[in-house]
Amino acid sequence: MQINPVIEKELKTKMRGWRAPALITAYLGFLFFVVFIYFLIYQENRRYGSQVLIPEIVVSLYNTIAFIQLLLILFITPIITGGAISSERERQTLDLLLCTDFSALKIIIGKIFVSIAHIMLLVTASFPILGIVFLYGGVRIWDVILLFIFYIIIAVMTASIGVFYSTVFKKSIVSIVMTYLTLGFFIVGTAIALLIYSELILDYLYRLNWYDIMFFLTPNPFYGFGIVIEDTLTDYGLLDLFVEAAIYRGGVPVITALGANSIFNIALSICLIMLSARRLRRLK
Amino acid sequence: MLVIKDLVKNYGKFRAVDNLSLEIEKGQIYGFVGANGAGKTTTLKIIAGLLKPTSGEVIVGGMNIRENPIAYKRKIGYMPDFFGVYDDLKVTEYMNFYSGIYGIKKEERDKICDELLELVNLRDKKNSYVDELSRGMKQRLCLARSLIHNPELLILDEPASGLDPKARVEMKEVLKELGNMGKTIIISSHILPELAELCTAIGIIDKGKKVISGTVEKIMSQMYSNRIIRIKVLDKKEALEKFLKEQPSVLSIKVHNDYIDAEFEGTKEVMAHMLKSAINQDIPVISFYEVERNLESVFMNLVGRGEEKNAN
Repeated sequence: MQINPVIEKELKTKMRGWRAPALITAYLGFLFFVVFIYFLIYQENRRYGSQVLIPEIVVSLYNTIAFIQLLLILFITPIITGGAISSERERQTLDLLLCTDFSALKIIIGKIFVSIAHIMLLVTASFPILGIVFLYGGVRIWDVILLFIFYIIIAVMTASIGVFYSTVFKKSIVSIVMTYLTLGFFIVGTAIALLIYSELILDYLYRLNWYDIMFFLTPNPFYGFGIVIEDTLTDYGLLDLFVEAAIYRGGVPVITALGANSIFNIALSICLIMLSARRLRRLK
Repeated sequence: MLVIKDLVKNYGKFRAVDNLSLEIEKGQIYGFVGANGAGKTTTLKIIAGLLKPTSGEVIVGGMNIRENPIAYKRKIGYMPDFFGVYDDLKVTEYMNFYSGIYGIKKEERDKICDELLELVNLRDKKNSYVDELSRGMKQRLCLARSLIHNPELLILDEPASGLDPKARVEMKEVLKELGNMGKTIIISSHILPELAELCTAIGIIDKGKKVISGTVEKIMSQMYSNRIIRIKVLDKKEALEKFLKEQPSVLSIKVHNDYIDAEFEGTKEVMAHMLKSAINQDIPVISFYEVERNLESVFMNLVGRGEEKNAN
């Protein structure tokens, strides 16, 4: 079987030169710094007599790194995919691809695969750091596998949005901004909509039913993340609303909420990939 | 090989291609001539399957793009009027990439790429980065790319545009070689003398409409049934004018500042006799020659005249 030439070429050129190793080194350096800070705080606590249970610190560290990686996916993927098609247009190579018998769908899939591979390389490279938690316990291997699958789904969804806008807009920067705005709507917009609904319609947040939460927050990547890390939670911190929403089952099993979130992301990705291919194929 | 029937392309209210019909035989090198904005690139893009016509159809090798787009696209090789190269790839990687795009098996790729790089004189540059190539080399690399799947019809949009004279000659040599190989080529260019030298047939397009089409000889004879003789004299211009008006083989004359152009109908012997008579009548002729008619003059006659008319 022949490898998609778009994937072959992009992987080759993206990994060529100093940029890719420098990015991986910088990212891993940053994660090591986070780990260092955590253990430094733990050390300080011990000095003042506090006997904080190590697994809790480590699980909290696991959640923090997991959250940083989610942010990485949400921030970096639009930058990579926003120029997927528009950069071909800017380089004047798009016509050369479109006048061949190579299918538009393969071009789109190739572009998405490459951007995800790039991000997943960073995520995978950080696994040894994440592996530190296994020295102390508190996190199961299944939690990590589930997290990785969740990352792939989110990366595909984000990449699909980026590539779709890249087929719509001629300039890469416009595609990137539009992808951020769409993600911003999914993350902040849906949360605000839920709060408005609960405050104005229901009068009180805790009158919300599980289906209200699912209706508003299913498209939200942070909601999905809240469900995924629910088993490894120590405190909620930044993700208060989403984690509370995630564990607010009200009769619905967690797996259903995660399933709904994943189905939404996968369905959105498929729709956007098909639409992108259609847009690319469509003659002017 | 290529049949264009009543092709129309509108951009909003603007009609870029207006009921264009053409037919190109297999093995022909067809020069597509027109001023900027005449509709050449739009027509070539429609043939390449990159633009959808408003109406009409294009058939390549008996195949219509709407009926079988994949088979249609395999029949054509397209080289646009811009480079369109990935600078971060080496020459062989660039060729391999497009080999993959056309589904050529890995084991065949090296052989095909080597042959094509040899054809376009880039074999010694195969390990160079595309970024390091000169403009002419990049253009030849693009040509090699368009040939990678051995297309039946080659569409070349301004292949020599922006190239220096040396690069233009090199490009012309490659195109001649392709012509000798029996490839059917449709080529648009502004450099008309080169086109006349290279092409077996030409078509002139103006404001989206075909003005004339056929072999270069046929067009020349169609356009100019009579010869133009340019005569320069030291003085006695009026005497020459009077002399020419008396000659039965001179149909008309055009007096310019330095010379007189006479539209002449007759054999070379009659022409020689006319010169002899002029000298015998003490007209001080310093030059007497037949004006060479070329594609440029045909083009200017057909398109330039139209522009003048419009301007008036």
